[in-house]
Parts: sequence; C-alpha cells; structure tokens
Amino acid sequence: MSRNVRLGLFAAAGAMLAALLVWGFTGLPAFGDFQGEYGWILNDVAGHERHVTNVVASVVFDYRGFDTLGEEFILFAAAIGVALLLREARDDRERPRDEVRSDAVRAVGLMLVGPTVVVGLYLVAHGYLTPGGGFQGGVAVAAGVVLLYAAGRYRAYSAASPHGLVELAEGAGAGAYAAVGVAALFAGGLFLENVVELGTRGTLASGGTIPILNAAAGLEVTAAVVLLLHEFLEEVMYPA
Amino acid sequence: MSSTLVPLVVAVPLLAAAALGALGNFAPSRFDNLVAIAVAVAVTVFSVLLIFRSADQTIHYWFGGWKPRSGIAIGISFSVDPLVAGVAALIGVLATAALVVSWDYFGEQVPQHFHVLMLIFLGSMTGFALSSDLFNMFVFFELMSIAAFALTGYRIEQSSALQGAINFAVVNSIGAFMLLTGIALLYGRTGALNLAQIGQVLSRGRADGLVVVAFTLVVVGFLTKAGAVPFHFWLSDAYAVAPAPVCILFAGVMSDLGLHATGRTYWEGFSGVLGADAGSVRGVLVGLGVGTALLGGAMAFVQAGLKRMLAFVVISHVGIFLAAIGLLTARGLAGATVGIVADGLVKGALFCAVASLARRLGETDELSLHGRGTPIPITGAVLGVGAVGLAVVPPLAILSGDGWLRGLLVVASALTGGAVLRAAGRIFLGLGPKQDELLVEPQAGAEAELRRAPRAGALLWLPGVALLAAGLTLAFTPGLARRAVQHAKLSVDRPALARETLHGVRTPLPKPSFERSPAAYAYAGAAGLLAIGFAALGLYRRRVPVLVAAPMHRLKLLHDGVVGEYVTWLTVGTAVIGVLFAVLIAKRP
Repeated sequence: MSRNVRLGLFAAAGAMLAALLVWGFTGLPAFGDFQGEYGWILNDVAGHERHVTNVVASVVFDYRGFDTLGEEFILFAAAIGVALLLREARDDRERPRDEVRSDAVRAVGLMLVGPTVVVGLYLVAHGYLTPGGGFQGGVAVAAGVVLLYAAGRYRAYSAASPHGLVELAEGAGAGAYAAVGVAALFAGGLFLENVVELGTRGTLASGGTIPILNAAAGLEVTAAVVLLLHEFLEEVMYPA
Repeated sequence: MSSTLVPLVVAVPLLAAAALGALGNFAPSRFDNLVAIAVAVAVTVFSVLLIFRSADQTIHYWFGGWKPRSGIAIGISFSVDPLVAGVAALIGVLATAALVVSWDYFGEQVPQHFHVLMLIFLGSMTGFALSSDLFNMFVFFELMSIAAFALTGYRIEQSSALQGAINFAVVNSIGAFMLLTGIALLYGRTGALNLAQIGQVLSRGRADGLVVVAFTLVVVGFLTKAGAVPFHFWLSDAYAVAPAPVCILFAGVMSDLGLHATGRTYWEGFSGVLGADAGSVRGVLVGLGVGTALLGGAMAFVQAGLKRMLAFVVISHVGIFLAAIGLLTARGLAGATVGIVADGLVKGALFCAVASLARRLGETDELSLHGRGTPIPITGAVLGVGAVGLAVVPPLAILSGDGWLRGLLVVASALTGGAVLRAAGRIFLGLGPKQDELLVEPQAGAEAELRRAPRAGALLWLPGVALLAAGLTLAFTPGLARRAVQHAKLSVDRPALARETLHGVRTPLPKPSFERSPAAYAYAGAAGLLAIGFAALGLYRRRVPVLVAAPMHRLKLLHDGVVGEYVTWLTVGTAVIGVLFAVLIAKRP
C-alpha cells in the first residue's frame, strides 16, 4: 500500500470514526448533571464503614481494591518486561563518566534529595486522610532517588539503589498487596475484606487494611520507577 | 454459595510472580520454572473443582465482601459458572503445558523475569475470564497485554521479534483505548461498571447514539485482542516470532478470550437495549466471523513457516467461533465455549509440536524441513492427528446455524486442517516437491537462535500428546454439549442474571433438553475428508489457477508488517462496523 493510499484511507475512516464519537458523546449527560448514584452512596457510607476521611482512597484500596491489585501488577509487569527486553551482558565495560559539572546544579539538586523523599513519604503516609496515596507518593520518593543521578552522577544513583534490592522491594510491594487479600481468606473473610481494627477516623491509625495496602502500593511504585530508570539509564550509559 | 477457590485462581499466580520477582536473584536455577509449573497445576485443579462446585448454581463472588446495595453494585464481582470455569481450566492446562515444554525448549539459562511474566500472564487471563465487571475486565485486559508484549519480544537478538512485539503493542493499545472510551461512555450513561447493572440501566432506555457507539467501541476492543478481520494483522506477526512455549498460551486461549468477553458483554450488558435489533447485531457479527474464518484459512494455506501458518489457523478459528457466538443463541454460545476449550487444547498441542521441531531440527519451515522429520515420529503424529483435529473439532462444536453457514465454516476449518496436514506430510513423510511458489517463505523467528538438542526429551513431546488427547476427547464427548447448552440458557437470560447478581434472587437451572444432532458428525466428517483433499491438492497440484493466485498475491501483500497500515485497517474496521450499526439500529423509530 502506498503512503498516499494509506493516508487517504486513514483520513476517510478517521473522519467517520470522529463523527461517530461525536454522535456518541452527545448522549452523555450535560456538565454537572450526572445522575449516577455510586459517588453519593460512597460519600454517605465510606466515612463510617471504613473510618477514612479521603473517600477516593476507600474506593481505590477497598471498594474497588481488586482493580488496584491489577493496576499494581500492570506496573510490576511493565518494569519486569522492560528488564527482560533490555537485558544484556553488562560486564567488562568502561565505567561511565557523567558527573554534573555545574556546582550550582549539584548543590541545589542534592539539597533537594532529602526534602523530595520526605514529601513523597508524607504523600504515601497520609494518602487516606488527605489527597495523595501510595501511587502518587511512590513516584515522588522515586524522584528523590533519581535526583542523585540528575544532579550528581550515575554511579551515586546506582550505588544508592542496588539492583537486587530494588527488585526485592518491587516484588515485596506487589506481593504484600496480594498477600493482604489472601490473609483475609485465612481470617475467614472474602478476598481483600477488611479484617483489621478500623481505628479512629482522621488519624494515621484508621482505615483498617487501607493503610497497609496503601503502603504496599507506595513501596511497589517507588521500586518500579527506580527500576525502570535503571534500565533506561543503562541503555544511555552503555550504548551498544 | 461462595467459594474461596474463586479469588485463588488469580491471587496465587500473582503472589507467586511477586515472590519470584523479589527472590529470583537469590534462588537456585530452575527453581523459578518449578514454582511456575506448580502454580499452573494448582490453577488447573482449582478451576476444575470450580466447574463442579458451580454446576448447580452460578457463584457470585464479591471482593472485599461489598455486596450490592438495593441493586447497586459498590464492589467488584466474579461470576463463575461451569462454562467460565471451563475456560479457566483451559488456561491452567495450557499454562502447565507451556511451562513444562519450556523446561527443555530453551537451551540456555532463562532469566527469572520470563517465569514472572508467564505467571502474571496466567493470573491476568483467569481474571479476565472470570470477571463480570467491565472496568475490572479492562484492568486484566491491560495486564494480560503488558505481559504478552514483553514475552513476544523475548528473543531480543532478533529484529523480527522486536518488530512483532511492537506491532502487537501498538495495535492492541489502540484497541484498549477503544475499549476504555466505550467504558467511559457507558459509565457516563449508567453510572455503573458492573455488567449486569449496566445492562439493567441500559434496558430502561433506548438504543441511541451513545449505546451504538459504546457497543461498537467495546466490541472492537475485544475483537482486536481476538484477532478478527480487519483487526488481525498484528497477530500473525506476533505469533510468528514469540517463543513456541509462549505461543501455546497465545494460540490456545488468549485470542479466544476476546470472543468470550464479546459474548459476555453482549448478553449481560447489551442484549436488553439491543434486543429488538438482535437481527442487525447478528448480521454484522456472523458476517465478520465468516470473513475472518475464510481469510484466515486461505492465508494459513499459503504459509511455509509453521508458526505463521498456525497464527492464521488461530485467526480462522476465531472467525468460526465468532460466527457461532454471533448467532446470538444459547446453542451458539454453548457450542463456541465447548469448541474454544477443545480446539484450544488441539492448537496448544500443535504449538508443542512446533516447539519440538524447533528444538530438535532447528527450524519450523515446511519446505526446508522436507523429509527431515524421521528422528521425531511422535511429533509427526501429533502434527498429523492435530491437523485432522483442526478440521473436525470446530464443525463438531457448532450446534446451530443454517446449512450454508455451517458449510462455509466447514470449508474454513478444512483449509486450516489441510494446511497443517500438508506440512506434516512434507516434513515427516517427505511427500510432494521441495519447492512451492505459492507459499510465503518465513523470516527468521525466535527459533533461529536455538541450539539444537541431540535427544528428544520427554518434556518436549509429552505435553503435546496429552493436550491432543484431551482436546479430541472433549470434542467427542456428547454429554458435554448438552450440559453446556443447559448452562448457556442461563447466561443468555439477562433479566434473570441481573436479578441474581444484583439482588441475590436465584433462578433455577433449566432442564437439559438439547441433544447434538447427527448433522454435526456429518459436517465434521466432511471437513476431515475435505482437509485431506486440500492437503493432497497442496502437495500434488501442477499449477495454481490465476483466479486463485492473483487475489492470494494481493492478500499476501496486505500482511506486510507495516504497523501504520495495520492501524489504518483498525480504523477502517471500527468506522465501518460503527456506521453499519448506526444505519441498522438507529433507523428504527
């Protein structure tokens, strides 16, 4: 098929598809006129059933917590998949020289490592009280680690996050989520059912299994992002 | 009755994958493969137990214990009946076979990441099959895809492997966007993600633009995974380059899961609101199915590379079972489900044979292997008997439909059987010439790097024999179709299913009434004979008539590996199906 034929065919089909989509979207309720009851029901019940102040967290880690198990494993599988596809022998090669020369970048960047990690941990820890959570916070923590490379050097980043340890953390985070689900079965409940004391609403000790699952997600996301960057950076550091 | 086994068929493989991912660096070699086999066996056993435990009543399992409140689902559920559990058992059996074959197939140390991904792939497929929540199905659809993309590209030294994986990833990701957009439309209209609840809310309204477009997008998403024409182009590129053990799972069940989801979404979600338009939906789905079946059969027949040939066999059989599901009857659904399981075992067995050929002879090309198969006679037997199985199993499974439809599907399955039979005759009996200008020469695939094994390890051929025996036994067990129709009658009763899922009101299982007619055996016999005829024609014909050669040449040129063209066809297919539904459904007052 020639390029022009392809583009012509795509333009015609794309226009038809666009018209269909517009036709479909006009069937949606007007802005602010959503009739679904799901959100209202959860707003009513999540507070006293799950003792959380962030209803979104109760959906993510409990009412629809099984989706989150799958989503956590999507990230896990993606990181493992990248590691599989970018695998190669990495011995006998020259150490990369990539030290950042600018003192200003180094000073400010490295000063930010600590605060970034702390902010990330805060986001993870308070995910079920205020906006945030394991997924968002995990990325922030990983960003703190990545600053070691961005403002320092690759070897520092590498040394601060040894490969085996990161893979261990990633597996532990993903596995802990599934294990909490299975533990509920041993306690006589249904998969992922809360079997822990619910605690006092509005404090860190609240929400039953939600903080545990939230922490597991935080660990998994941090490790997965660090691992992904490891793999990509190695491609750049040791070009074939 | 609620059963603890339901979550375990997903949780155990995922938990094992995480454990292997965490500890794989410290475990002794082969430990990961052993763990993976043990988990696959466990999933198989659990699934088979679920077939029996759900025999009297469908199991509705609400995760976290969040049952619906006054008819509104607030959590996620799996619905398990014997048909669904049977598909889960197929997944478990094929995963076991794939992991056993991979023990001897790879002549090298396999990174533990391979087994981690195989376990995730296993768990995501069972989750996708069992879920009755549309968004949850999307999550498992994505998880399944991510694992499959990486497994396809396993042979990173081969540019064709990476190319196949990229085509797979691009086309399937666009399919996933379609699906997600459809889900967003449905959520906007119904406020629900549970299929039964979506069906309840939709059935109170009419089939307007939103319903038509959402149905189109969801079906296109699932049919892209299934590989129905014209969404199939990625499939032959990916299956031709993925390692043969991975193909056992791809070909045996992953594609058919797209069909399973199409059926489930139609019956639980759309059969109410589109009930008056069932004729239009039937026309489009059956038309797509027949087109896919014949195109896949024709393309399979002109391949010299066994893996690409089997990829087109998969496409053809997806078409056959799509036509059966598209009939929109309980018999069509029951026949397709039993057929998917029996046929999946046969296709899995054929990929076991391919793995054995690749490992022992270093190639999977019919022409260059001419007469060289004598050292591995059992593999030859699996390939030959499996070829006949490809021809006869689908016609046995199709339980209804007009004579002309069943006739066309017989031709398609005979083409697929004939193609594989021809290859078996050439490789193992040295029949026919060593050259054939009709056939497409294969590119170097995943096998090109394999070191040839000197001896035939039993682990290479035994799984193939077992899968083939199981598949043929299931296909010829008459009572199975009877029980399947009995359960399918409940699956197609949307209002009853919704009452059961959302309100816990049980519906008694209908009495079994169906008997497989002798016609099915006649069609199967005809397909078997026709397949032998096609094989003989492939081996001994003098020349190809222009009337066949010219269109086949055009067809071959379309499958050229250019992903931009694949995406164009996907867009064209979506637009045409959408416009067809729009014209047929919205024209009603």
